[in-house]
Amino acid sequence: MQHPSPDSLRAVTKPASQSGAGFVFPAPGSRRTGPRWEPYLYLLPALLVFTAFVAVPIAGGVILSLTAWNGISWDTATWVGLGNYVDAFNDSRFWTAFRNNVTLIPYFVLLPAILGLIPAALVHQMKLRGAAIFQAGLFLPYIMPGVLIGVVWRWMLNPVFGPVNQTLKRMGFHPPTWLADFNLALPTIGMIGAWAAYGFCYVVFVAGIEKIPRDLYDAAKLDGAGGWQEFLAVTLPGLRREIAVVLSVNLINALRAFDVIKATTDGGPGDATNVLALFMMNSAFGANQAGYGIAIAVILAIVTLVLSLLVLRLFGGDDD
Amino acid sequence: MIRRTIVYVLLTLGCIAAVLPFVITTLASLKTMPEIIQGVFAWPESPNWDNYREAWVQGRFGRFFVNSTVVAFAVTIPAVFLSAMSGYAFARFEFRGKGVLFGYLLLGLVVPLQALVIPLFYLLRELHLLDSLWALIVPQIAMSMSFGTLLMRQAFLAVPRDVAEAATLDGATSWQSLWGIMFPLSRPMIGTLGLLFFIWTWNEFLLPLVVNIDPAYHTLPVGLLYFQQRWTSNLPLIAAGATIIFIPLVLAFLVFQKQLVKGLTEGALKG
Repeated sequence: MQHPSPDSLRAVTKPASQSGAGFVFPAPGSRRTGPRWEPYLYLLPALLVFTAFVAVPIAGGVILSLTAWNGISWDTATWVGLGNYVDAFNDSRFWTAFRNNVTLIPYFVLLPAILGLIPAALVHQMKLRGAAIFQAGLFLPYIMPGVLIGVVWRWMLNPVFGPVNQTLKRMGFHPPTWLADFNLALPTIGMIGAWAAYGFCYVVFVAGIEKIPRDLYDAAKLDGAGGWQEFLAVTLPGLRREIAVVLSVNLINALRAFDVIKATTDGGPGDATNVLALFMMNSAFGANQAGYGIAIAVILAIVTLVLSLLVLRLFGGDDD
Repeated sequence: MIRRTIVYVLLTLGCIAAVLPFVITTLASLKTMPEIIQGVFAWPESPNWDNYREAWVQGRFGRFFVNSTVVAFAVTIPAVFLSAMSGYAFARFEFRGKGVLFGYLLLGLVVPLQALVIPLFYLLRELHLLDSLWALIVPQIAMSMSFGTLLMRQAFLAVPRDVAEAATLDGATSWQSLWGIMFPLSRPMIGTLGLLFFIWTWNEFLLPLVVNIDPAYHTLPVGLLYFQQRWTSNLPLIAAGATIIFIPLVLAFLVFQKQLVKGLTEGALKG
């Protein structure tokens, strides 16, 4: 973007020599290969498109969140400072949506992690062969679009024609209406989220366990560790990084949940399954409160960032 | 032995639970409404392909399918090449501002689309890009840059130094060495990256929902949502629409299974 000044050009060659021990690759981009502004040319397209369509909207969003604006014509925008944020904290619908996101966390985060971890550990411990065949089937839901998952489950759980209730009725039960039930709708969404993620968790854990050095297990055996002790002493600590990844990915999915809910309940019944992403969209485009909607988006981004960093820090893996 | 059997049974049940809803949906798409009411698991008397014809023509799934395909290719191909260029810059050059620029690009990994989609809508409106495929293509290329740069930088760093160096000594320019040596050598990673971009674009829902109101520019996921709202009680038709979306994904998954599972689990940190 900006052409480096002569001063910076001199500085360019310096860091090259310190980029790692034994690295004798001739300071690429300096003497032999071409002009010193070369790397900037390689970066230019990526930086331009990223700045225009990611960075500018983020920055613009932060500014717009400080205004009251109907989203239609620019002259209606007025500066309100942190007013939108204050409004959000005093808005019971905001807190309902926030609480619903939090309620989804155990279903989206812990349940699939446990459902993936236990079989992965058992398969490893018993040295089961042919377990790889299961991976494909288990992984399938993870690559499907959320809307599709929502549409499929909405019909699976259809109170009258749905396979689930048809089966339950045939067995003599009086099944609930699931997504239409005030108290059950949110847990049902949670179970759909857990269903979509457990295969992914399993696959990540299986791959992680294979990377744990065999001699750690041998040592545990020599110490007379049983299956459970071996799991606690070797497998669990060995999977720290994978656990951190799985938990943070699932957490992000719980906080930004939108697609599945849009396709199943659209936030209903009432506000029973309203979540922040849905509330933000309805505020901005449904109620023409663009500034308010964007403020909720900013809060959502901050909460996501803080919580996922917390998970990664808690499990202490160095990133990458 | 018994414990082993139990684990096998558990895995099988887990597998069935993961796949069964899709199987039932496919079955339902070949039935008539009375057949669905009679029993969900029953085989249809004769496959009723009319559901597909209706979804494809009246439901405009043909149009959505073309849109989804065009957008997925139009995002994936440029995104892979731009990622290769920026990843190359970070892998092979030392320059002023390198750390800052890298951090700046990675910002896209920690900010979810939800946080920027509303302002993005107003930006695209100012640019008169709403209700066009451009509104889907350009922002998704932009959002691919963070993950793409990260992955391609790693791929190029993994190329042995003497291989990279040989090209430079032969007097090749960095441009020639990128496309002639580094890029072909990183083919597996590029394949995985392309596959991930393709599936993420194919599955994207929020962006197309927000920026394109005109059904002429809908992609399959958004099309399915409106389709469901319009034909609420016609389950076979909805099932046919759903099947049209997931069959290509299942096929892609069967062909590229290894690469996909590896790429998705390793790339799991993508925000």
